[in-house]
Amino acid sequence: MRARLVLLAVVLVMLVLPFQFGTSALTTATFVVIAAIGATGLNVLTGYAGQISLGHAFFLAAGAYTGAKLGEDLGWSAALWIPAAGVVAGVCGALVGPIALRLSGLYLAIVTLGLVFIGQHVFFNAESLTGGPQGRTFPPVVIGPFDFSAGQVLRLGGLQIDSNGLYYYLALALLAGATAFAWNLRRTRTGRAMVAVREREIAASVMGVDVRRVKIAAFTASAFMAGVSGALYASYLSFAQPGEWSLLLSIQFVAAVIVGGMGTVAGPLLGSAVVFALPTLLKNLPFLPEEAAGGVSVSDLSSIAYGLLIVAFLVLQPRGLVGLVNQPKEAHS
Amino acid sequence: MTWAPLIEVQDLTLRFGAITAFEGVSFDVSVGELFAVIGPNGAGKSSLFNALSRVYEPNAGSVRLDGRDFLRVRRDRLAALGVARSFQNLGIFPHLTALENVLVGRHHLMRSGIVRSGLGLAGREEQRHRAAAADALEFVGLACHADTEVQLLPYGHRKRVELARCLAMEPRVMLLDEPVAGMNAAERVDATRLVQRLRDERELTVVLVEHDMGMVMQVADRILVLDFGVPIAIGTPEQIQADERVIRAYLGEPFDEEAVAA
Amino acid sequence: MTEFLQLLFQGVSLGSTYALVALGFAVVYRSSGVINFAQGAMLLLGAYAVSWLAVDVGLSFALAVLAATVMLALAGAALHGLVLRRVVGQPTFVLVMITIGVGIAVTHGVEAAFGPDRRLLGDPWGAAAFEVGGVTINTVKVWGIAVTAAALGAYFAFDRYTRWGLAMQATAADEEATLSVGVPVRRVHACTWALAGALATLGGLFLAGFPGAPQPALGDAALRAFPAIVLGGLGSPVGAVVGGLLIGVVEVLTSGYAPDSLGTNFYAVAPYVAMIAILLVRPYGLFGARPVERV
Repeated sequence: MRARLVLLAVVLVMLVLPFQFGTSALTTATFVVIAAIGATGLNVLTGYAGQISLGHAFFLAAGAYTGAKLGEDLGWSAALWIPAAGVVAGVCGALVGPIALRLSGLYLAIVTLGLVFIGQHVFFNAESLTGGPQGRTFPPVVIGPFDFSAGQVLRLGGLQIDSNGLYYYLALALLAGATAFAWNLRRTRTGRAMVAVREREIAASVMGVDVRRVKIAAFTASAFMAGVSGALYASYLSFAQPGEWSLLLSIQFVAAVIVGGMGTVAGPLLGSAVVFALPTLLKNLPFLPEEAAGGVSVSDLSSIAYGLLIVAFLVLQPRGLVGLVNQPKEAHS
Repeated sequence: MTWAPLIEVQDLTLRFGAITAFEGVSFDVSVGELFAVIGPNGAGKSSLFNALSRVYEPNAGSVRLDGRDFLRVRRDRLAALGVARSFQNLGIFPHLTALENVLVGRHHLMRSGIVRSGLGLAGREEQRHRAAAADALEFVGLACHADTEVQLLPYGHRKRVELARCLAMEPRVMLLDEPVAGMNAAERVDATRLVQRLRDERELTVVLVEHDMGMVMQVADRILVLDFGVPIAIGTPEQIQADERVIRAYLGEPFDEEAVAA
Repeated sequence: MTEFLQLLFQGVSLGSTYALVALGFAVVYRSSGVINFAQGAMLLLGAYAVSWLAVDVGLSFALAVLAATVMLALAGAALHGLVLRRVVGQPTFVLVMITIGVGIAVTHGVEAAFGPDRRLLGDPWGAAAFEVGGVTINTVKVWGIAVTAAALGAYFAFDRYTRWGLAMQATAADEEATLSVGVPVRRVHACTWALAGALATLGGLFLAGFPGAPQPALGDAALRAFPAIVLGGLGSPVGAVVGGLLIGVVEVLTSGYAPDSLGTNFYAVAPYVAMIAILLVRPYGLFGARPVERV
């Protein structure tokens, strides 16, 4: 009962956020929510199915460039290019899946690493699609009469929502969908099969679980969500160059899933809040020396923090932030 | 009880490099029979089980289920053929609850894929199968622990969850790998009774591997004895208990005073 | 032809450095089943340590290398003692992620401490070179190959002929059994990680040698050594060496001969492409073995 009240409170806070906080906080929150969509996907792949993947950045990129191609180059509505981004990324995931079948965990981690590098290489060279090293612009979300471009304002009754707010609510809606999907999954046949594959693959297959199918499904679903997240992310940024889709980005997502709590429902959002709001938080710390004066740059400090957070949580609190809140149930005798 | 052999094993052999796990194993199991495989430690019993459940690929020999070649079956098709297996090192999934563990046993009887599951359209199927899983837990007396994470349960309970899961698979044949290992006396009695009920009430064919002689002699219809991977005797409990080779395998050669004095 | 030989020499030289790095991975994996994603960071740290000691502190180069090697060995042992020991028994995924976390923290920590610019390594060789049949042979590269060969030889001898080497193999095979016969397993692990740190220093040293330099991007170079261990097969020291040499040669030959259609800087990803191609055919690498899972 208490959990439901907490959930309700959180949902309410998230809904009114744009009206209570300034633009800067709203921008950060929007990035966090967009990232959380991708983190939810990774949570399904790693938290449920136990597949190590360092390649998440690649699927984000696949979604982003699909959105760019369809939304900006071809002028399609966001109602089409957002799902299309998911589908294209999902197909990429389905293609990577079979490689996962032949390789055990560690080999898989390295191959997904290779995926990010090869992907970046391709993106740096495919100038017509990505703009090459200079980068390219990405389309704002436009769905019918709703235009999310900067400067647009939506008037609803007495409320005014600017483009930041619109992105925020759209991301929130998509996150809600992704979370519902992941939650449903966990409570049904496929989700259980994924966890079974993670814990005892051979036993699972003896029980009738088609391990091949489960792994491919996990990769596909995870990539789909990453694609949507990536498309929205690039759209919100409005400009990005191929260096964006780096190993560090992949690791940020892995950190988010770990810090939040692997395999949990609230984990992806909590973890994303920590990981993706961190740079903003650090920028506002009073004692940080000026970057120009040769001091520690925020990005370095953030990265150091990610690394330490990953280590700290895995060593001290493997259940993540969710684990801090929920105490494990006592054993019955 | 009909006596047509459900399972026919012929000359089955498994080697790991230079080490022979077992060799030339042959036996039949009839429908409704409770067949036990016993032998001293290292005799190759679990390896035999692993070969029978398609975890290991045997080097020679044949296995037929219902007259059809069993060695061509893919591991994840066993459940569909009606074969369920429990594991010596526990094939339960620690982070799932007892009910969820049993539900994995229902996996092959359910149809929802990732799309239906994720979109929340699998509700009715879930309900139906949860009821069946709950029944299985009831049968083994663990209904009260349905929502407990299995890693929090004591060892004896975990083995019972595994038994429930095997039952929930609606199999024709159960392969039980040391079902009473690690249990105290009271738990053994319960587990033995459970196995008997499984065979009697649910009309299952059971093949089990066990160390506990008392349990085996009590429940088995026929017994195969392995020693160092070689079958040394096969027969009813009475026959086995009287068999000299079996006695020698377990207790060693009779003490030869003359040889020692010399 | 001369160009080919030139590239071949450079490939072997680079490859021998990768072999050194790969050996560091293989050593750790053999004894604990963990791929040390922090090896690149340790490599970076090693190169910077040598640079700092030789240039800023003013030690003679040989002394700087020695001191740096010791420092990194201690760092490796500390990593094991302070962090990894606390997560014994957890799934490999957790251990791998921890090394990733450490790797990131250290890599960016080095950049934060020393800044983003190239540094001087402080080595005595610089750009010195001599010619053999039209092929330019850099002194530093010759030293690199020689030191690598010596280090590899020493490791193999250690592995095969000493008690510690045997202890490491035993720990890798069955930790509990090894513990029960009285082998100080914790010390073996610490020793393994110390060895990894030392190998990282040597690897970093030569990767940072002419025409390279100690700079933050060095850590990424180590990532190119990953395909080396995977190619060779995780945990196989011989595989690591073969893999390393192969990757080095592939990388340099690709930089020389790759057509433009494959994009600029294709050589940087060529190792990964090669790795994936080989893995599709041999999922456990050229020398790797399928891990046995007890059911």
